[in-house]
Amino acid sequence: MKQLILLAVFFAIPSLSQDLTHPRDMGLPDSDYTRPDPTEYQLTLENGLIAYVAEADQVPLVTMSAFIRGGLVSDESQGAAESLFDALKNAGPSGTSSSDFKASLKQMTAEFVVEMHDEWTEVSLNVPAEDLDQVLPMFAGLLRQPAISEENISRAARGVAPEANDLGGESGAALYEGSMSAAVDRFYEIIYKDHAIGRRPTTVEFNELEAEDVAAFHAKYFVPGNMTIAVAGAIDVDEINGRLVDLFGDWAMAEVPEVKRMPAITRMRAKLHHFPSDKLQSWLVIGHDLPPVPLEEQAALDVMNYIMGAVHLNTRMMRVTRYKYGYTNDASGFPEAHWYGPGGYTYRSYSRPEVIENIYQNMMGELIRIRDEEVTEHEMFVAKGALADGSFPVRYLDGYALTRSFALERLRYGNHDRSASYLQRIRAVSIDDVLNAARKYLRPDNMQVILLGEEAFEL
Amino acid sequence: MRTFRNLSILAVAFFVSQASAQDYDLPILEHVYENGLRLLVIERPGESRVVSKIFTDMGALNETPGQYGAAHFLEHVMFKGTPTLGSLDWEREKEVHAQIRAAEDALIEELNRSRNTLRERGVFHDYQHSETTPRIGELRALIDSLNRQAQELSEEGPVSVWYMAYGGTGLTATTEQEYMKFDIDLPVDRVDLFLRLEADRMQNSIFRNFDAERMVLVEQRLGDLNRAETDYREAMNSLVGRASMVYVPEGYTNDFQQYTRRYERELYETYFVPNNTTLIFIGGVTLEEMIPKVEKYFGHMERAPEPARYQGREPLPSAEKRLNWRSNTLSPRVEVRYQIPGVGHPDRPLFDVLDEAFEAHLQSAISEAGVDGTVDINTRVVHTSRFGVPASINIELVVGDASQIDKAERTLLAELRRLGEEPLPADLVAQARKKLRTEWYRTAVDPNRLAFEIGHFEVMDSWRSLQPYLEARDAATADDLARLAGKYFIANNRSVGVVRPGEVPQ
Repeated sequence: MKQLILLAVFFAIPSLSQDLTHPRDMGLPDSDYTRPDPTEYQLTLENGLIAYVAEADQVPLVTMSAFIRGGLVSDESQGAAESLFDALKNAGPSGTSSSDFKASLKQMTAEFVVEMHDEWTEVSLNVPAEDLDQVLPMFAGLLRQPAISEENISRAARGVAPEANDLGGESGAALYEGSMSAAVDRFYEIIYKDHAIGRRPTTVEFNELEAEDVAAFHAKYFVPGNMTIAVAGAIDVDEINGRLVDLFGDWAMAEVPEVKRMPAITRMRAKLHHFPSDKLQSWLVIGHDLPPVPLEEQAALDVMNYIMGAVHLNTRMMRVTRYKYGYTNDASGFPEAHWYGPGGYTYRSYSRPEVIENIYQNMMGELIRIRDEEVTEHEMFVAKGALADGSFPVRYLDGYALTRSFALERLRYGNHDRSASYLQRIRAVSIDDVLNAARKYLRPDNMQVILLGEEAFEL
Repeated sequence: MRTFRNLSILAVAFFVSQASAQDYDLPILEHVYENGLRLLVIERPGESRVVSKIFTDMGALNETPGQYGAAHFLEHVMFKGTPTLGSLDWEREKEVHAQIRAAEDALIEELNRSRNTLRERGVFHDYQHSETTPRIGELRALIDSLNRQAQELSEEGPVSVWYMAYGGTGLTATTEQEYMKFDIDLPVDRVDLFLRLEADRMQNSIFRNFDAERMVLVEQRLGDLNRAETDYREAMNSLVGRASMVYVPEGYTNDFQQYTRRYERELYETYFVPNNTTLIFIGGVTLEEMIPKVEKYFGHMERAPEPARYQGREPLPSAEKRLNWRSNTLSPRVEVRYQIPGVGHPDRPLFDVLDEAFEAHLQSAISEAGVDGTVDINTRVVHTSRFGVPASINIELVVGDASQIDKAERTLLAELRRLGEEPLPADLVAQARKKLRTEWYRTAVDPNRLAFEIGHFEVMDSWRSLQPYLEARDAATADDLARLAGKYFIANNRSVGVVRPGEVPQ
């Protein structure tokens, strides 16, 4: 009897005064969000360089980023891109020694980021506003004339050596933090095998490379019309616009390199690729290539992916792995489009080895189900709300975010039409559109399955 | 509900006016309700979104031995909804949960009754009469079956789905030693959703899918254990601290099987009360707007008996301690730790400056001494770097060659002694201060990180300590750091860890 009383208390009806109106009945207002107007932030130089500049004065910091259409697969002299990447990271602008460059960054307490992707490159600096006079010429010098030497080539060559790809050891890629990355790397090696995107320079090619080749690569791609810039922070916009004209205005207009479009990937039959790893968990990547997505299908793919596996707690993938069974901490989908060629679309998870097969079966079940059955109205409501009222506005949340988003969009597409129409396109997606997107962009017969860990199952 | 509104706003107005002359402008507005709930707002007029967080003053420090990680687990099961969120038929589901609870009570009784059979008595986990009893098997099977029934009567993701549907981003939750928090960013005009969902979560959580979620924690723990450093770091943590729960990891594997609904419910009911809770908003809302909104959803909650705060106290440092660790996968290293005071103690902010300045100095010093190594100085224990209670500063030197370990240790100890006798160069200290100031700006520019720091200081000491903490760092001198070294870097307060390759000599 005592037990029953305790249970009754345990499940007592919530206080009558508590407002427990269901969220859908709360009368939450419809979104009236409109994307900021890019022209309000845009500066176009006569040489074709476009910059986006915004004041964001919550704290005395300034961020400046340059985006360049050119990356690891753009070079004709193999290894030139990797070597330029090293020069940008380590050497600094021409006329400054590497040690002085690094000492300046340290003195300014700068955050310095250089990322080179397959098709584009980013160079970013974040510094205290008090160091603006010092950093702006450095930023311009780095972009216009980086110090390129043979040392950059040899260091880049060491970076692609086989031991840098080791799966073992303390600093190896198969540790917990890096194991998923290692599995994803294996996936891309497989789908890009014999494809231009997967090609990486060899030691022999690095040996044949000279600093002039790297400089030529830089001169071809780092030109005003092939680059956009974003500046935001505790600045006066007019003053920064003037400084940008001073620093970049005399940069000679040059021919913009033709966009290098990559061929499609030859489709492969589904296959399991097992990579042993002596860890307490196993890592799973299921996926195939992602062809370039036309504008009219992008929104439906976004909605479909949101329902299936975007990184949040309420996806179909999370429900059939984590929520119901506690198999894993995460199961999510990653459509990773390339700008001008095939990308990859993967679903990823990890777990103790004894349930990794269950995860595989459940994830595959969902990949098949979304191609066979219509999603629900409720799923559509949630996905559209999340995309249109959540992740999209966040891209333009403050000066830093919006200048970056506009600069990248302009570089990739040459205009802002995509972001202008995004909300409308998301709201127009129908259940049929999602079904079609699933049938086109998820292909169970082509899934390459990467299992990093104990051998656990066969296809 | 009556409030302290006028008084607290006046107090804040004074505080803000004092702060505005400084480098760190933190225009935090406070309102404390009669039931003890604290509301903190930074108004950013015109912003279209609002960062929203709810902090509870509880965490791993409040767990009991054998239940380590239970606070973190509570956070997980608090995502499972309430009677009004997630149930397909609450009347029926309620009955199933009652049966699960009864079965769990019976299981606890059986585990107690069978303890002499089940208890592992072997040092090497090799002496246990039996691993289970028929009754335990029956009860576990019954709970599994009831779990499946309950699952049929409920929906998945009952809280997060509504945040997502209405444009929420950045949905996370975190539990550390001293706090649990839930957070979301929303469009300003939908902030009521946060209040509706969090007030419900705070009072009416149903621990659905309890046993499945238990395994999610196991996964997280396995992830920790995959790191070569985890065992070593946990051994170092336990070497440094003798009493404080700060040093306990987020659950040992055995603990995950010990969590019960009953224990989690006790934690929940004890700590999730208004007078142990702080709401923080940064964005396009005002305090004036938020006061009645918060009252609408949290105003009915009664002030509860004050939960007992953690009062753990470490014994006085009385001996140097040493860990000799062997590993062929971990890089060879020598590490020296000293206990340091918690946030709220006037010396604590100076340790941030010492960390930065001494790291730069030590890196040069070991190079000059011919040691090939990398220095990292930090104050991290498990995942957290600041506490309201004493913790430690960790001076780590990873060497490229194990044969240099002894030399590295001698150099390290000599430099630590020197630090107490000879102040660091002033420019090094100035550079450290600048780095900390810039890092703070990088935190403050992100309303999410700023709101976290405000909430974290509130549970460690008080949100009012945050700005003086930052200002104290800016005022630190080389002499201050020398004084710290002389006071804290003494042999009896030292724990040394050495990692070498090879096997332990017998």
